[in-house]
Amino acid sequence: MNCDAVTKLIPLYYYGELTPDEEDQVDQHVHECAACGVSMEQQQSLAAALDRRKLDIPPLMLEDCRDDLMAAIAGGIPRQVKPEKGPWALFLEAMAATFAGFGRLRQPVAAVALILLGYLAARYSGAGAASLSAVPNDNVYSNVRSVKALNDGSVQITLDETRRREITGRLEDSNIQRFILAGSRDEDAAVRVESVGLLKNRADSQEALDSLLNALANDPNDGVRLKALDALKPVAGDPRVTKTLSQVLLTDANPAVRMQVIDLMVTRRDDSVVGVLQNLMQRENNSGVRLKASKVLKDWNASIGTF
Amino acid sequence: MAQDAAGAIGARVSPQVDTLIRAAQGGDQDAFEQLVRTYDQSVLRLAMNLLRSPEDARDVYQEAFLRVYRNLHAFRFDCSFHTWLYRIVTNICLDQLRKRKVRKEEAAVMETSDGPIDRMETFEEEAAGSDPERSMWNQELKQRIENALVGLTPRERMVFELRHYQGLRLRNIGEMLGTTEEAAKNCLFRATQKMRGVLGDFV
Repeated sequence: MNCDAVTKLIPLYYYGELTPDEEDQVDQHVHECAACGVSMEQQQSLAAALDRRKLDIPPLMLEDCRDDLMAAIAGGIPRQVKPEKGPWALFLEAMAATFAGFGRLRQPVAAVALILLGYLAARYSGAGAASLSAVPNDNVYSNVRSVKALNDGSVQITLDETRRREITGRLEDSNIQRFILAGSRDEDAAVRVESVGLLKNRADSQEALDSLLNALANDPNDGVRLKALDALKPVAGDPRVTKTLSQVLLTDANPAVRMQVIDLMVTRRDDSVVGVLQNLMQRENNSGVRLKASKVLKDWNASIGTF
Repeated sequence: MAQDAAGAIGARVSPQVDTLIRAAQGGDQDAFEQLVRTYDQSVLRLAMNLLRSPEDARDVYQEAFLRVYRNLHAFRFDCSFHTWLYRIVTNICLDQLRKRKVRKEEAAVMETSDGPIDRMETFEEEAAGSDPERSMWNQELKQRIENALVGLTPRERMVFELRHYQGLRLRNIGEMLGTTEEAAKNCLFRATQKMRGVLGDFV
């Protein structure tokens, strides 16, 4: 087995995914080849470094998720239960048994019977029948608002129902743009992230730029702010953008956002940027951000502090 | 190397789980809830580690188990329930990762109900307070690891996550992702090479 082949097998060796024969061959080669021995050690170091990155689930998060799931199900998520035999199959069987010998007439007779059944159900289902279908329509999402036992033994349930509509269109469509702008201010962070991302190529429009700058400066969600930063890349030279970037760099609580702001601000050398970075160095606590800012200042032959 | 309980469950459905599935298929709500509780911790851990965002992990959890709820009647016991469930979960996570590919979402700090926390806080800060050089090195290593992971394709990231952190076998991973064991091996190799390339002299 040569070095190329062993290199390919080292990760699989580490994860115990080789056959015993393959393991023996790798063992033998690594024992004799110093370079592959180093590669094996690097694999172990990589795995050890990545092990330290493992993230635990925050306390109570699992219970919260379970509660939310069960609440969503209780709120009326439609579900198909596996029946022994479907109602249609049972109905047809019953019809077939009743009209045995009238095979040709089965369908028309069944149709007439269904119409009759519908008429009778509508005619005679009075106060005793539920006034709403127990299983909501796919596009209607129900939440139980109140449940009340009535004196006659029945139960009155109040539902809040939300109807979902889908709209498809091109980004250039003004109606679609209107919804995207509204989406960038939605209370759901996931909707804001997607909407802000879609504004990326519309940053030349005043409304879109306003929304992006607003998201970058004020959105509480890190993902949305990062997305807004990404969307602002093509217009990083715009004076309004530069001004907001400077403010965000000095005020944003998230070091990852600050790092990316630096990336965006330093695409071209500018004395005002030097000033902002020097100002940042006076107050920045995060070592990663300090490192990045100091590197830029060094590259630009600017002093790290202000004098 | 991390080994998750899900890996042990993955190979075969236990008789108890089998009974739970059949009861839940018949409409037994308690059985469905027990079924969820059997698997949901590993699902949430996968989503958290992969997406590094409690908000997104919650969405994956909810969406995955609602799909299970809606489609459990279609489960035919022709693969393990764990594999079937993970096909759903990995599909949702891959969609999320693909959406994120257009943005650099790996912020170092994430919002939780307990306030902002550093995503990498599980990193050991060995004597960092007394050794600024060491602390700087740790910070740089963290950043490199994040960069390395962002550089993987969603599929490479998924294979790596399932193998390294969830401890699943590559054969099972291939089955979950609708591909072969060989393809999963290649994916793992590419992921490892890319990460070693980015981490360079740090490992």
